[in-house]
Amino acid sequence: MRYDSITEAIGNTPLVRIDPAVHGLRTIDLYAKLEMLNPFGSVKDRPAWHMARPHLEGAADGDGTVVELSSGNTAKALALLAGLHGLRFKSVTNRMRVPEIKELLLLLGAEIEELPGRSECLDPTDTDDPLTHFHRALSDPGSTYLHTDQYFNPRNVEAHAAGTGPEIVKDLDGRAPDWFIACVGTAGSSTGVARVLREHDPEVRVLGLVAHKSDFIPGIRTIDEVHQVGLFDPATYDTIESVTSDEAIDGMVTLIRRCGLLSGPTGGAAYQGAVRHLRKVDAEPAEPGRRRTAVFIVCDRAESYLSYVRHRRPELLGRVNRGHSAAALTDAEARAEARVIGVDDARRWIAEGEPRPLVVDLRSPHAYAALHIEGSVNIVDELFDELVRGGLPFSKRTPVLLACPVGEKSVRHAALLTRMGHPDVRSLAGGIVAWRDAGAPLVRA
Amino acid sequence: MDVPLYLRPRVESPLASLLGAAPFLHSLVDALGSPLNVLLPEAVAENARRFRSVYRRHRLAGRVYFAHKANRSSALVRRLAAEDPAAVGVDVASLEELRHALSCGFTGDRIMATGPKDPEFLWLAARVGATVNLDSPGELEQLAGLVRRYGLGRVDALVRLSGFESAAGRGGAGTRLLARRSRFGIPVRDARALVPALERHADAVELTGVAYHLDTTGVEEKVRALEQCVLFMDECRARGLAPRAVDIGGGFGVGYVADAGEWERWTTALSEAVLGGRPPLTWRGHGYGLRNEGGTVRGTAALYPGHRPTAGPGYLDELLSLPAPVLGRPPATLLLEHLHDLYVEPGRSLVDQCGLSLARVLEVRPTGEDSGQYLVRLGMNAGDVSLEEHGVLVDPLLLPRGEPEKGDGEPVGVFLAGNLCLEADLITRRLVFLPRLPRTGDLLAFANTAGYAMDFHAHHAQRQPVARTVAVEQEGGSWRWCLDEEYWPITHPGGMSA
Repeated sequence: MRYDSITEAIGNTPLVRIDPAVHGLRTIDLYAKLEMLNPFGSVKDRPAWHMARPHLEGAADGDGTVVELSSGNTAKALALLAGLHGLRFKSVTNRMRVPEIKELLLLLGAEIEELPGRSECLDPTDTDDPLTHFHRALSDPGSTYLHTDQYFNPRNVEAHAAGTGPEIVKDLDGRAPDWFIACVGTAGSSTGVARVLREHDPEVRVLGLVAHKSDFIPGIRTIDEVHQVGLFDPATYDTIESVTSDEAIDGMVTLIRRCGLLSGPTGGAAYQGAVRHLRKVDAEPAEPGRRRTAVFIVCDRAESYLSYVRHRRPELLGRVNRGHSAAALTDAEARAEARVIGVDDARRWIAEGEPRPLVVDLRSPHAYAALHIEGSVNIVDELFDELVRGGLPFSKRTPVLLACPVGEKSVRHAALLTRMGHPDVRSLAGGIVAWRDAGAPLVRA
Repeated sequence: MDVPLYLRPRVESPLASLLGAAPFLHSLVDALGSPLNVLLPEAVAENARRFRSVYRRHRLAGRVYFAHKANRSSALVRRLAAEDPAAVGVDVASLEELRHALSCGFTGDRIMATGPKDPEFLWLAARVGATVNLDSPGELEQLAGLVRRYGLGRVDALVRLSGFESAAGRGGAGTRLLARRSRFGIPVRDARALVPALERHADAVELTGVAYHLDTTGVEEKVRALEQCVLFMDECRARGLAPRAVDIGGGFGVGYVADAGEWERWTTALSEAVLGGRPPLTWRGHGYGLRNEGGTVRGTAALYPGHRPTAGPGYLDELLSLPAPVLGRPPATLLLEHLHDLYVEPGRSLVDQCGLSLARVLEVRPTGEDSGQYLVRLGMNAGDVSLEEHGVLVDPLLLPRGEPEKGDGEPVGVFLAGNLCLEADLITRRLVFLPRLPRTGDLLAFANTAGYAMDFHAHHAQRQPVARTVAVEQEGGSWRWCLDEEYWPITHPGGMSA
């Protein structure tokens, strides 16, 4: 397929049937609408392009900044679209909760503004939220901001009413599914798709999924947060149910490991929420001879959510430590096997040792630069861990004095080097703090 | 009636056992009147130890300074004065708080003078050897002038920094963390210009550290500020000054509501009520800052996060453990590696679970709107228990006068009215659910009011009495008490020497 612009590749995503052996539903065919296959990687490519297009075409002189409240896929798509048109993009957000996405946005050239947290010492008369200030800045005369306003912009819904919805009907041979399941973020995809499906068949049931209130699933709002979304209309949904981050990850793992679908947690939440809901219906006696269908959206891909998974389900990313590691020693082993040396003896050893020891400071470079033992070298502990993994980083003929802030890390590393066969490595007892408290000299880099 | 939307308080020992001693609390109010404040001095010492244990876990040195403004009591300050001088200090924000701390047994070297300062406050702080938390370049000039004019000794001082959002971190290019504007402190971008003045006044004022206090629950903002302080201290060291402490202020928070589910149900119901989807939860449909604009909720609920899974010492632990944005190491490691001490100034969180406020039920009557709701008038006013003033929503506990009567067992929604002749005098605008309807003579106990809610806003309007305060202590199975001003850490309440 040949295109003049990548924007032409937005839409026309596949609808893939989930193997019934995976979901276990007897009377219902479950389909995944693979929005993750859009060129910028998510369901947001459609509304981002549809909302931004008038702005981008209007600002062809390359002056101005596209701005949106987004910490995820909308920001990603808008950053790319803005760059494509020679404009800047700024994302304003409460918190970038997934670090990879923040880094990705920076790579895409986005500028990120993070709003302050809530006040600890509350002034109940100050009910202006940071967003009020944000909107005030946008409406300043002379502002060059192009605000796409995804939570209120009807073009967000239109993008799905014109694209996603009709595509589903077409791929189901001109019929609407019996159920449509969508996670509610801006409510754009669920509202737009539901509108089209209901025009075909008023009997379509729409299940909206929100995040469990105290939980966080990227791209999904909680039941309280959806009320703050201008596009959200409770009448769109026959049912609203909540899902947890645990369910989202379960669903994501099922889609990845059993269906070959590289879905992120949002798609996982949609799958898990869909199956949970449909299982009840499936158990009821069905009309004989008629199979029913359900469609859910796979919003984006897995790769950007590794830290999200690591934080919640570290065992899924379990790594086995290879090589030598100080972390493998118990406290008792470290204490038993390491040689320690007090400040006074260490000073004498450094001054008169035959040969004199190499002093290794395990603190961070910034702390080392601020104050350190004269003549010491700085190998920050993380780097030291990597070095020793492969073998002894010092000659056995060179005695070594290890120093850290309070002598806690250095004792472990000294024990490890001893185990690895170094004949004379010692840990500075009480660390640099004890050195300072004893009045021993420290110098700046 | 709707399902009762409780917001039941988190109460831990010994506050929980005090609340179980209803006859004792009734006898106190009978003797001393309503309202009445009750404090547990031993609990504040225990909280200080919990903060210290976070220090120990991170191998950090430095003091925990009690932010005196959270509570006026003598018992709490005297009890803390008896703790290890190297571990516990007091943060005072006025001349009278300074005088009070001194009279309670704190020596000057354990006192931190913060906030807006008049010359008398500044002079006395310098005179007794307190550490002065400098709020502006002008204050540095003023302090140095006082030291020279009155021949005072060299004064230890911290510089309070603010405005961290404009500090472009090396790793933060492209990202700007906005912060709420503060009236206090020296913007970090102007701090470098202060260094020559610090050098000029080094004979009179010794820079011993750098401070900040951010009004936010956001831990990332605080991590960023702490790191900026470490970086600034390094610049000071390069210029030959020798600061060694980072004072990270307070704001560690308290969890008031015990159950996360209750808090979530109530806040969800508030949004629904604002949208008209359910009857109001509040007096005259007050929205706590939320409003309905065309079916969409706008605004922010001006509410303290009632249920907090991580607060107080746990919050400090989290703050010390998150990676810092520029140098990448957690704040605890940064402080330790740079050989810096850590100072904290907890107020609310240091007096968590340290007291309660009691009010007598004076009248109970139906609201007259056929809603099954009642108006309960108390022997106190909104100034006596200023939870609402700080956005804290939590239920009081009902302590019946005698045995319950038959048919008392039904949960009921009540509005709590105060003793002022004023429409607005409601203890809270929230419809409060109680397990049964109170009767005249019962007590309502507002748990956990020692932080800012007990005497911060108390007043003499309409010549209504201001609460008296007592200190209590459990001994064996019984409770002893004395007036707050009679308490000393060496005497058990009741007069028996320890």
